[in-house]
Amino acid sequence: MTKKRRRLPALIKDMGSCLFKKPFTQEYPFVSVQAPEGYRGRQTFDPEKCISCGLCERDCPAKAIELVEVSGKRMPYFYLDRCIFCYQCAEGCPRNAIQLSTNFEMSTTEKDELLVKAEEFISKQNISSDEGQ
Amino acid sequence: MEKFETAVDVLKNNLADAIVELKVPRPRKAYILLKSERHRDAVSLLLKHVEESMLSTISGVDLGTEIELNYHMVCGGTVTLKNRVPREKPVTKTITDILPGANLYEREVFDLLGVVFEGHPNLERLLLPDGWPKGNYPLRRDWTPPLIQENDSGSEEDSQNNSEEDDVGSLVSVVVGPQHPVLHEPERFNFTVDGETVVDVKPRLGYVHRGIEKAAERMMYFQDVFLVERICGICNAAHTTVFCQAVEDIGNIETPPRALYLRTIVHELNRVHSHLLLLGVGGHLLGFEALFQHVWRDREPVMDIIEQITGNRLMSGFNTIGGVRRDINPNTVEKALKTVKAVRKRAVFYKNVFEEDATLRLRTEGVGVLSKEVALKLCVVGPVLRGSGVASDVRKDDPYAAYAEIPFNVPCYDECDTWARLMVRVDEVVESLNILDYAFNNLPGGRLRVRVQRKIPEGEAVSRVEAPRGELIHYVKSDGTAYPYRVKVRAPTLANLLAFPDAIRGGYIADIPSVMGSLDPCFSCTDRMAFVDTANGQKWRWSLDDVNSHKNRRVLL
Repeated sequence: MTKKRRRLPALIKDMGSCLFKKPFTQEYPFVSVQAPEGYRGRQTFDPEKCISCGLCERDCPAKAIELVEVSGKRMPYFYLDRCIFCYQCAEGCPRNAIQLSTNFEMSTTEKDELLVKAEEFISKQNISSDEGQ
Repeated sequence: MEKFETAVDVLKNNLADAIVELKVPRPRKAYILLKSERHRDAVSLLLKHVEESMLSTISGVDLGTEIELNYHMVCGGTVTLKNRVPREKPVTKTITDILPGANLYEREVFDLLGVVFEGHPNLERLLLPDGWPKGNYPLRRDWTPPLIQENDSGSEEDSQNNSEEDDVGSLVSVVVGPQHPVLHEPERFNFTVDGETVVDVKPRLGYVHRGIEKAAERMMYFQDVFLVERICGICNAAHTTVFCQAVEDIGNIETPPRALYLRTIVHELNRVHSHLLLLGVGGHLLGFEALFQHVWRDREPVMDIIEQITGNRLMSGFNTIGGVRRDINPNTVEKALKTVKAVRKRAVFYKNVFEEDATLRLRTEGVGVLSKEVALKLCVVGPVLRGSGVASDVRKDDPYAAYAEIPFNVPCYDECDTWARLMVRVDEVVESLNILDYAFNNLPGGRLRVRVQRKIPEGEAVSRVEAPRGELIHYVKSDGTAYPYRVKVRAPTLANLLAFPDAIRGGYIADIPSVMGSLDPCFSCTDRMAFVDTANGQKWRWSLDDVNSHKNRRVLL
């Protein structure tokens, strides 16, 4: 390369223009952030649809699902601390009982909170029937 | 293509007496079973007659009574030369004297399968830790983890103080790492310096070895896709693409064209963000923090697009055997095209910065020179090879996914220095964005995936892709069940690591980060297997002999 006349570094102009812009970073968690549609977050489970086939447990590459007897039916427990959010369980479920959600906020100080029990979805869905049992 | 046919012809004509079986099941893929101990002849023939032929890797497979060594030679396509050695007495001859680039691969096989390579200059452990019990070879089929007992972990201490040849005269030993040398990954480098000048360097691998190859044998094929994805976060799409291709090859599965295009799109988005990451880190390593901040800011929209298309910023979980797992909607395409346009504008601007910034050029030009001849001898790959004047790119030489239909150029620089390697990446960002533009606009319709049986028929396949860091190769062998018999991974960084001592020798300490950075090392890829070496005081590292043998070869070249 032939010696050129010394000039201002090319990035200077860019750096200058940034002085008059608001910061590029987001002020999370003070400003809430929405994950895009289709984001693989925490699973939701529909106990009504579950047929206890156990495909989710067998296919899970991270062994994060365990079938447990819940109110007379074998239903999955999700160990989110092991889950890799690949959604093989949702893909393989023959009745679409496992669905995705875009909820990505799972940080906790208690590891136990990362165990998602099938009961949680039962109580959420139909409290009265749960009490009846 | 032509090169590949020449290679097969040369072997057929000159080595007819040594070939037991020759199979060419797919274009540009040949599997040749040789008579015992004839692999050296075959390798030298290929090196002599086929221009720019190199060794991708050596994969060892435990067949029960024999251990099969597959020498995957790159000559247009992949010629796999098979040499079998008895399992009881696994001894064979080295090829490091013909091709120095085989050095690390032979050590890897020695470490994990216990094959002894006669005549290897420094046959020591490569990956397993310094406390691994003798006679334990994790990749043999009958080995299981309980076979190892608790080991004292104290031996790591003394391996840090390798004092033999250090502190001789004015030579001082400087240890860089294992905490975050260059990039934020653990690896240790022991530099021997004379004043400000680097005389020598010994890398130590294995800090993030997770035993993925062994783990892959215990999971079903479709689960392995998620496992190989986790070999490396940045090039996850490359790992899944190459693994799925290999399995599809064995099972004769035709992937629908739309899936091939979608794979290409995610693969290229991966490349764009990986290169932008490295260019930013390059700025950071040179003390040019503003460049680092700006490049990383511009990388963010690319990550957003990946998140929208695949469902996650990094772990795409997009590819599967027989196709891809989700479709792309027209809104996303529109948004992605806008992003591609905006990022291309920035990439062109950064090219200008890299070309014109005086300080940046002073810090990178003529630093870390790796000549074309040395690069070929050491079998380096990817942008490092293209920065040394060899226009080799798997996407062009051995097209996969949708690359055969997409027009693009292969950037190549003859300067052979750090600057050239960075420029290759700047140019590749622009090329990748052009590929993306074309792929989004020419997305074919049709199915996303075909249904694939869990059991894959018996067979074997080698598959290659151009990962952001260079040629990535997977070798998969199936025995007809739902679980693979053997999965072998060679990540690009292992190939490029051998070149680091050559590139840095004679340079300044201050140049270490930039030269290492220009190789774009990714140690989690490199360390996917395990290593140990222990109490007997045996440590894996590049010994002086090893390095000397390199020096000598360099003189011979």
